Amino acid sequence: MTTLEVPPAPEDSSSRAAGPLQVLIDARHLAVRAIRESTRQPGVEITNVFIPLFFLAVSTGAIANFSERGFGVENYLAFQLPVAVLQAVAGSSAASGIAIVLDMERGYFDKLLLTPASRWSLIIGRVWADAVRAIFFATIMLVAALIAGSGMATGVPGAILILIIAGLFGGAYSGIGIFIAMRTGNAQAAQAGFLLFFPLLFMAPAFAPLAVFDDWLRIIATINPVTYIMEGMRGLVMEGYAWPVTEGGQIVFGPDGLPMTKDPPALHWAFVSLAGFSAFTLTIAALALRSRTRAD
Amino acid sequence: MSNHSPHHAPTVAERLWQELAATAPQHDRDADLAIEAYGLVKHFGDIHAVNGIDLRVRPGQIFGFLGQNGSGKTTTVRMLTTLLRPTEGSARVAGFDVLSQDRQVRRAIGVALQEAGLDILQTGRELLRLQSRLYNVPRGEIEDRVAHLLEVVDLSEDADRRIGDYSGGMQRRLDLASALVHSPSIIFLDEPTTGLDPVSRQNLWDYIQRLNREDGVTFFLTTQYLEEADQLCDEIAILDAGEIVQQGTPDGLKATVSADVIYVQVEGNERAQQRAVGVLLPLPNVEDAQWDFNEGIAVYSKSGHDTLPRVVRTLDEANLPFSNLRLARATLDDVFFKATGHRIEPDGQAGQAAQSTQGGSA
Repeated sequence: MTTLEVPPAPEDSSSRAAGPLQVLIDARHLAVRAIRESTRQPGVEITNVFIPLFFLAVSTGAIANFSERGFGVENYLAFQLPVAVLQAVAGSSAASGIAIVLDMERGYFDKLLLTPASRWSLIIGRVWADAVRAIFFATIMLVAALIAGSGMATGVPGAILILIIAGLFGGAYSGIGIFIAMRTGNAQAAQAGFLLFFPLLFMAPAFAPLAVFDDWLRIIATINPVTYIMEGMRGLVMEGYAWPVTEGGQIVFGPDGLPMTKDPPALHWAFVSLAGFSAFTLTIAALALRSRTRAD
Repeated sequence: MSNHSPHHAPTVAERLWQELAATAPQHDRDADLAIEAYGLVKHFGDIHAVNGIDLRVRPGQIFGFLGQNGSGKTTTVRMLTTLLRPTEGSARVAGFDVLSQDRQVRRAIGVALQEAGLDILQTGRELLRLQSRLYNVPRGEIEDRVAHLLEVVDLSEDADRRIGDYSGGMQRRLDLASALVHSPSIIFLDEPTTGLDPVSRQNLWDYIQRLNREDGVTFFLTTQYLEEADQLCDEIAILDAGEIVQQGTPDGLKATVSADVIYVQVEGNERAQQRAVGVLLPLPNVEDAQWDFNEGIAVYSKSGHDTLPRVVRTLDEANLPFSNLRLARATLDDVFFKATGHRIEPDGQAGQAAQSTQGGSA
């Protein structure tokens, strides 16, 4: 032990950058911490790799032989690749809700709330970390599928686009975990956040194209944002870039009221859906944080 | 204190206070109070956790909140440290309003909450580094400060181990260090030594006293240990059911109870206990007598040596068998018991006696 003299504290007026920049700086510190924690629990993270790879292998093994006859998909592994990516990303992002609950239970969340860091940086740090982790897991899925022969119609730029979509989806999905963690402070509830992933992923054309779905499922899939994210990625893997058909600078709408595209699923809808999905999840996460920290 | 109704219009109270402060002689001015609260109230639905608390803590004080679990200590700390919004009332910490200037308050204070709030996957050094960054300690100073604090709390050798591997005492010390990264002038400690072994507890007391003495840091701590309050605090507020029922220096508080206490276990049911208290209260020099399920009857006397034989005789004459008779000096324990304890219901004399002592000293 030595003497207790502690260097004087920095002047508070000048030392903290103003507003949004400071929020991002703090968020980055918190994101680094969250990512570091993932690296320290490889056992937890391994399931995020194992489960989607397992599904990819068995669904391809079971269905690939008749997918062309059944619904005209020649390379079923390629068809399944986006599902594996989204599954891995959803799994890893849902885990971060649990991490927040653990922080709360251990009192560390209060410790963070007691710092001058903005409350928003607590959310943004998590979302940021989840986006980075999403890209990491998506890369593993991509590499594994490429090795197994999925191919990539759009080459390296398409693969990068897929990783970007995965990162955005990971950030958006973490809003769900944050929301549940803030509302309930309960680890089991946060764990259940992972279950949301079943309707989101499987009420979308995960195993077969929309065209062969029963009406009820097709209707649900049509309003499910994940459908468009999945199809956007699938187009990049299997077909090529697809943008809306335009005539004289105007987007052409089809009979169903949606913009017409050439054959491959429309990539822009993936981004529109991502924007809507993340706006929704991040808003509820932010509101939940506000009501918790204002609180009672 | 308990006689006053909580301030339902804190702004008025505040204005009045400012008025008083402005007109008081210089040495009495408390314009620079470290912590001040006016009529703090916190309700959680039907649960009234805190029922109107007023506080004035001067810079450099070690102020203790003494109370049992559920008395409102933690809730008060959470309001003062900006984690909870008061239902009513207002508070200023380091001169900043806890509601409208919460960010400034957080910058000025260091807090270690009840359970060491740590992250078991980081190492001690990483945790302090992150903490320093969030408090905007200048980049170039972080490593030095972290190393220094680790040394201060005797964790240099364990700095690069994961916190999950630390013992309870080490975690508390790290938690305290993490409250110091920005050299706060006011530190809140919520039950800092609960669950610690005696050696770790003594060590923590030493840290607190040194910080207070050498750096003039103000401490606001809560505890359920009388010894802790007695040894560490300059001023103690006894909290019961969300209200301050007694306040003063440890010595001052002890002076409010009689010099001696005679403990005696009377056999029999509650009625027998009430009868015993009834016959003991009128004895000469006896100021109060109270029954508690665990401790038996405590007879407070100005002169224990005179009272002791009388207690024996009186109980004998009243046909009340007893055991475990002992004489002790009054301690803070007795202050606490008198201020909050279970006293005899509703049977006249004893109840009134307890009431009057409490009313008179509050």
